[in-house]
Amino acid sequence: MSSSISSQGNFWSNFFVVDRLVSGVIIILLYIAIITILGYILSPYISKIYAGENTWFRKYSDPLITFIERAAGIDRDKRYTFRYYFGSLIFFNFIVGLFCFLFLILQGEFFAAPGQRPMNPFLAFNTVASFLTNTNIQNYSSPARLTYLDITVVIITLMFVSATTGFAASMAFVRGILSDDGKIGNFFHDFLVALFDLILPLSLLATVLLIIFGVPDVTYSSITIHPFFAKYTVNIPVGPIASLEGIKNIGTNGGGFYGANAAYPFENPTWITNLIEEVSFTIIPIGSIFALGRVLGNRKFARMLYGVIFTIFIISALLTFFSEFAGLPSFSMLGINFGGNYIGKETALGLSQSSIFASGATLTSTGAANSALIDYTPAGILGVLFPMLLNDPLGGVGTGVLNIFSYVIFTVFIVSLMVGKLPELMSLKIESKEIKYSTFTLIIHPILIIVPMGIVLLFGPELMKSFINTRPDQITQLLYEFASAVSNNGSAMEGFTVNTPFYNTLIGILVIMGRYPIIAFQLLIAQSFSNKKPKVQYGRGVDIGSFWFGFMLLFTMLLLGLISFFPILSAGPLLAWGKAFSLYMGGLI
Amino acid sequence: MGQGILSVYGGIDLNRYLEYFVNTMKSFNPVHLKNNPVMFITEIAFLVSIYVLIFGKEYGLSTTGNYVPFYVAVLTLLFLTIFFSNLAESIAEGKSRDITKSLREMKKETVGRLIQDGSESMITSSNLRKGMIVEVRENETVPTDGEIIEGRGRFNESSITGESRPVFKVQGDSVTGGTTIIDGKVKIIITANPGETFLDKMIGMVEGATRSKTPNEIALSILLSGLTLSFLIIVTSMFSLEIFLTSQANIIFLIILLICLIPTTIGALLPALGVAAINKVSQFNVIAKSGRAVENAGDIDTIILDKTGTITIGDREAFKFYTNRGLRDEEFFTKCYLSSMYDETKEGISVIKKVKDLNHIVLDEEVKGYEFIPFTSETKFSGVKKGNEFIYKGSPNAIWEIVGFRDNFIDAICAEISSRGGTAMVVTSNTGVEGVIEFNDILKPWIRERIDSLKSMNIKPIMCTGDNELTAKYVAAEAGIDEFVANSKPQDKFRKVEEEKTLQRMVAMVGDGTNDAPALAKADVGFAMNSGTQAAKDAANMIDLDNDPTKLMDVIFLGKQILITRGALTTFSVANDISKYFVIIPAIFYVFPYLSFINILGFTNPLLALTSALIFNTFIIPLLIPLSIRGVKFKPSGVNDLLRRNILIYGMGGIILPFIAIGAIYYILAGVGVAW
Repeated sequence: MSSSISSQGNFWSNFFVVDRLVSGVIIILLYIAIITILGYILSPYISKIYAGENTWFRKYSDPLITFIERAAGIDRDKRYTFRYYFGSLIFFNFIVGLFCFLFLILQGEFFAAPGQRPMNPFLAFNTVASFLTNTNIQNYSSPARLTYLDITVVIITLMFVSATTGFAASMAFVRGILSDDGKIGNFFHDFLVALFDLILPLSLLATVLLIIFGVPDVTYSSITIHPFFAKYTVNIPVGPIASLEGIKNIGTNGGGFYGANAAYPFENPTWITNLIEEVSFTIIPIGSIFALGRVLGNRKFARMLYGVIFTIFIISALLTFFSEFAGLPSFSMLGINFGGNYIGKETALGLSQSSIFASGATLTSTGAANSALIDYTPAGILGVLFPMLLNDPLGGVGTGVLNIFSYVIFTVFIVSLMVGKLPELMSLKIESKEIKYSTFTLIIHPILIIVPMGIVLLFGPELMKSFINTRPDQITQLLYEFASAVSNNGSAMEGFTVNTPFYNTLIGILVIMGRYPIIAFQLLIAQSFSNKKPKVQYGRGVDIGSFWFGFMLLFTMLLLGLISFFPILSAGPLLAWGKAFSLYMGGLI
Repeated sequence: MGQGILSVYGGIDLNRYLEYFVNTMKSFNPVHLKNNPVMFITEIAFLVSIYVLIFGKEYGLSTTGNYVPFYVAVLTLLFLTIFFSNLAESIAEGKSRDITKSLREMKKETVGRLIQDGSESMITSSNLRKGMIVEVRENETVPTDGEIIEGRGRFNESSITGESRPVFKVQGDSVTGGTTIIDGKVKIIITANPGETFLDKMIGMVEGATRSKTPNEIALSILLSGLTLSFLIIVTSMFSLEIFLTSQANIIFLIILLICLIPTTIGALLPALGVAAINKVSQFNVIAKSGRAVENAGDIDTIILDKTGTITIGDREAFKFYTNRGLRDEEFFTKCYLSSMYDETKEGISVIKKVKDLNHIVLDEEVKGYEFIPFTSETKFSGVKKGNEFIYKGSPNAIWEIVGFRDNFIDAICAEISSRGGTAMVVTSNTGVEGVIEFNDILKPWIRERIDSLKSMNIKPIMCTGDNELTAKYVAAEAGIDEFVANSKPQDKFRKVEEEKTLQRMVAMVGDGTNDAPALAKADVGFAMNSGTQAAKDAANMIDLDNDPTKLMDVIFLGKQILITRGALTTFSVANDISKYFVIIPAIFYVFPYLSFINILGFTNPLLALTSALIFNTFIIPLLIPLSIRGVKFKPSGVNDLLRRNILIYGMGGIILPFIAIGAIYYILAGVGVAW
């Protein structure tokens, strides 16, 4: 069959069908090239925001910001220390979260929403916590469970708040490095600037593009179709999909309008929207990394960070792609050669675009999906999973910068010792205080994943009744769920019922613990940096933009990830893979 | 290598072994270990495993057949891990005790000749107080620290420095208690009360430095504690995993996993590394007042050096006399002699010597009746005076100020001398400018190489000299120094230190005079000469007993080496975990044959695999004790080269070596028939 296609000499059908391995790799690399270029183009704009300079968009946004600040009594010129900055951040988030929580549980009482039941408090807590922390784990069934009022008031609000809060935190972090007066900024001003200068315009742009390429954005609740083969008509829910989709991706949120997320055709109808979505959730994180180089005056450093993060990206994407292409050895070798594991994947997008989307979504803290992750092969899921175990190297909006810096500080410390220097970053001394906070940041992540895992596994039978797969797969699913929660990713592999009071509460707590302490520790580092004056260097000490520093950073990240999770990985995906492989061996004999 | 290891352990000396052993056993006290979280956890794990084994049945441990010798081996290895860690510390501490011991031996009670109200009385050194004046005569011991106020003499300081060549000291120099005067007679004003002397302070510092952690060590311990905590939790989760998958868990296996994962290697050696740092400095005959000073030395950006004594060989000597036009040489030689006859500086003494070497005889009646005009750093000249008659010698600029004009001929000679790095001193009298004395400066051998290696480590040397621009430029160029301060006064050094400090750079400086004290105190590394004044020594945080300023560069190398050793061992220790995982996890999950693909070493006996990993984990500690006490080798080179080299050796090596070593241990054990 394949030879008949090639004999017709149709280059493209050859390329996409026969040489799928090659074309898949090329598509993945193309995606990476496109998101890199677009992120790089955005970086001067972000660096202006970081530097506190006026962007060209400011002339439109400034009246609005000034108005809100005047109305709320915020003095934008007043800058504060960590205590006040972080206090404002927590306070603001708490108030917004509380409002949304009350809205969800009391909506039946106050808001006349047709047919709407109030959410139970556990689910409401889980939903609000996960959307407030940029996680977007959806334990409710979407969109059946939410009205459009809910989506507009709660979901979209929280999506904007979480992304903007993250970016504001990164603005404070960068300011901490740059300033030497002990002040890290004014949260409310940062929040407004991030919202009106960056997040809002970009989400509007993304929404418009998605509408152009076919994503619906309507105010009626469903369309009714009558399939020719069916006896009854079918109601397909629709609504403000493109509006939600814009901020969902730009804000690295990831919680879709539909439970199936971007695998549902109305969220992601074509390969163009797939590309737009992939670009939207990577553009701010990548732009921020390159902007760091501009604003800190060390572009080599930014290139190094990009290199390290994208090495992880490529490993993750290709590991997923190759594993899915190979399929399960037990299946493919038994003669069922279906040319890759297509279960749960949209055939229009294929393996490559599913893999790059899945790994891009876990490399950033988006967690969107355009395929069913539960149907991935054990090795394929490993590729999607391991960026989350490294706490999303590219990270969410803003938090990506915070996350990567905890690794950078750790590495600088070790590297400086290895060359006989006292550690310093950006000419600022790193002392035990900074090491303390970055160690906390680095160990809180695995601890938060492993402790609940240990507890759930120990009391297994009681808590794991709803699991249906084999035991190694259950471990993978649990690990995936907790890793996704703690890294504020929100990617869901599912496989068991999570909408129970226990999991709702536990995961709600985990998402909060995975976000605010880390922001606090990183801002404490910023505070400590902001009290220090930079050294005027003769030659550079440790060149943090060099290849070997990048090598060491990658080495440290992989090493810390590996040593934290190897036992669980070996009992989960590796064991499952071994089993599948051994079955194939058995089949051969 | 074998001999090398032996020498680190102190050679064959049974008493010493016994001392090490006793101290090692004492360190098992958990209170002692609480400052070292890694070892503390190890000891807890050791105790827990004893408990678990005694009540083994309750915890579902198999106690059949080959398990029993396995448990015994595990217990032994756990014990040895803590033992080796304590051993490393007690060896290092033993070395530092040797230093304090030798310092204490110098503190003998001696008798001094007290001069009070013109009368002499004998007094024991413990009764001497600050401000008292004692006289020390030939072959007597200096009772306690003081400063020479009268006389001069040659001192044997071998008790402090180990250098038997006597040191010539003149008025203003400080002397240390315990040294002896070989010839000459001096009067000393006592500068320290009992218990505050140099030796007392040194002993206190060496002892104190072994106990307190440096900021960098604290940071590293935080990092290691963090890793240890997360490993503790990871291993606990393994328990759940095992119960979930196989409904049984062997606690001893998990304890082995824990001990292999937590960074025992660096945790065991860290205390020893700290003590070793101070010891190594002491081997250079430098006393560091704190470990922090040594660490700072490793990270110096700027180093402020004196020209004299550091770049050039210490004392300048009169080298040649240039007589002014129309004057007789003999007359000039006499004037030179007269100008220097009361001058007790080394230059002055060398002028007298040079005149004598030229066989020029100065008659006794010629020298009578002159009054001494001493040198000050403001006037920059010295000489003698009799009525209206005077003979002064000093720097050209100072002399031109006295005579009121500039003698072109003499000035040309001075310029020529300066341009070849010498120092010119003009002699003038009431009858006019007499001539020039040339003092020569000889660069220290290897100074150029040392300056180059400093520069290759991105350290900027700045040379300070009281000489004029021309001389300074010549010497700086010869030594390869780019920045210098000519015509510098003592306060210039302080200003320079401050200037560099406002740029947040780490500054080291060498000094010996009281004038240097503020700068020494301000600098991150103040390096004082033992021959310097008490004030300088108090302000500095390192004191060189041999009075060799070039040694600051050795200390810089040493500081770097200490940091490198610490970083390299940390990297090595953490990198080891990868291979240990690949041995231990398949052994724990041996019930799953499916997982055999991660058993990359192909071990078939899980108990033996666990034992091999633990053996490696335990015995890597004593194997690295010599390295940690001696420090890793490093060549001064660019940061990037050094980084690449150390990543490859300690990072990659740390991953690969354990695979090889554990594999070798496993097959050797299997080969000799260990069958469990």
